[in-house]
Amino acid sequence: MIFLKLFLEFFHIGLFSFGGGYATLPFLYRIAQIHDWYTVQQLSDLIGIASITPGPVGVNAATYAGFMTGGVAGAAIATVAVILPSFIIIIIVSRMLEKFRENKYVCSVIYVLKPAACGLLAAVGINMFMNNGYNFFGFLLLACLFASSLYDRKSPLFYLGISALVGLIAGFFNLTG
Amino acid sequence: MLLGGGYVILPILQNELVEKKNWLSDSELHEFYALGQSVPGIIAANVSVFTGYKLLGLSGAFAAIAGITMPAFLAIIVIARLVGEVSYLKFIQSIFWGVGVGVLMLIIMAVRELWARSVVDRFSYVIFFLSFVLSACFQAPPTVVIILAIFIGIWIQYQKRLENRE
Repeated sequence: MIFLKLFLEFFHIGLFSFGGGYATLPFLYRIAQIHDWYTVQQLSDLIGIASITPGPVGVNAATYAGFMTGGVAGAAIATVAVILPSFIIIIIVSRMLEKFRENKYVCSVIYVLKPAACGLLAAVGINMFMNNGYNFFGFLLLACLFASSLYDRKSPLFYLGISALVGLIAGFFNLTG
Repeated sequence: MLLGGGYVILPILQNELVEKKNWLSDSELHEFYALGQSVPGIIAANVSVFTGYKLLGLSGAFAAIAGITMPAFLAIIVIARLVGEVSYLKFIQSIFWGVGVGVLMLIIMAVRELWARSVVDRFSYVIFFLSFVLSACFQAPPTVVIILAIFIGIWIQYQKRLENRE
């Protein structure tokens, strides 16, 4: 039964997440709230791991979430489920490529979907920040990373690396709260 | 036929598919990339399915999707096992404490990037704000917000069409 639920949840993520990259995040966060498959804390670890593993973050996150819920079989089911909608839709769209692209309804829907997806992601950011309950030091680290990004934007790996290192050092001085 | 994993970024795709393998022309790749963003799902997976399907039909699409997911799939399972084994260690927990902050930073960056591409006028600003409030304050499921956005998009175009007719 858990496998059917996994399949349905991730199929639905594949079907409704637009915009790539972290577009699956609001859905993954929702799962953390309504199922006890993984906690928000684990979701945060998951995104970190998915971001440093080769491959698209959305697929990696599905694999990881599936693995935590139902082992290797769960991972396989979640991965297949999250890419299956793309697969089906693209096979259909490929046949009428030109028409699809120039369709005014499609353009109009995407024009609305993009800012909506952006709003969803911003909401997840706020929710995760509140949920993680960072102490002053964590907040300071985030502020420093953000300030530095305003001057010079580095790759995601850079920020993950720095914050992991700072976490490691902070742990020795019991600053991680 | 395998594409390998990690081809998230356009330049890499370009190098591999257009220049090395000659599977696609430059304009085809850009079109697939644009299309990959306008159908639901993960962009890199979408582009690989488009490419595979164009080259070899259904079997090509299968091969491409398997190629782009398999390396990541195996890597994730290994890492997930490892993390499970060592997660009780104090210094691993400290590292993940830091990674948690880093992830928030990545989300901020993703939001800024999306914002630059999507919030282009007053109307899209309103949509952003509505979606944010619905999700953050009223805990609306993301699916509901997305479906609402789809309906609004259709409705706008429908109104435009009515106006043009008059």
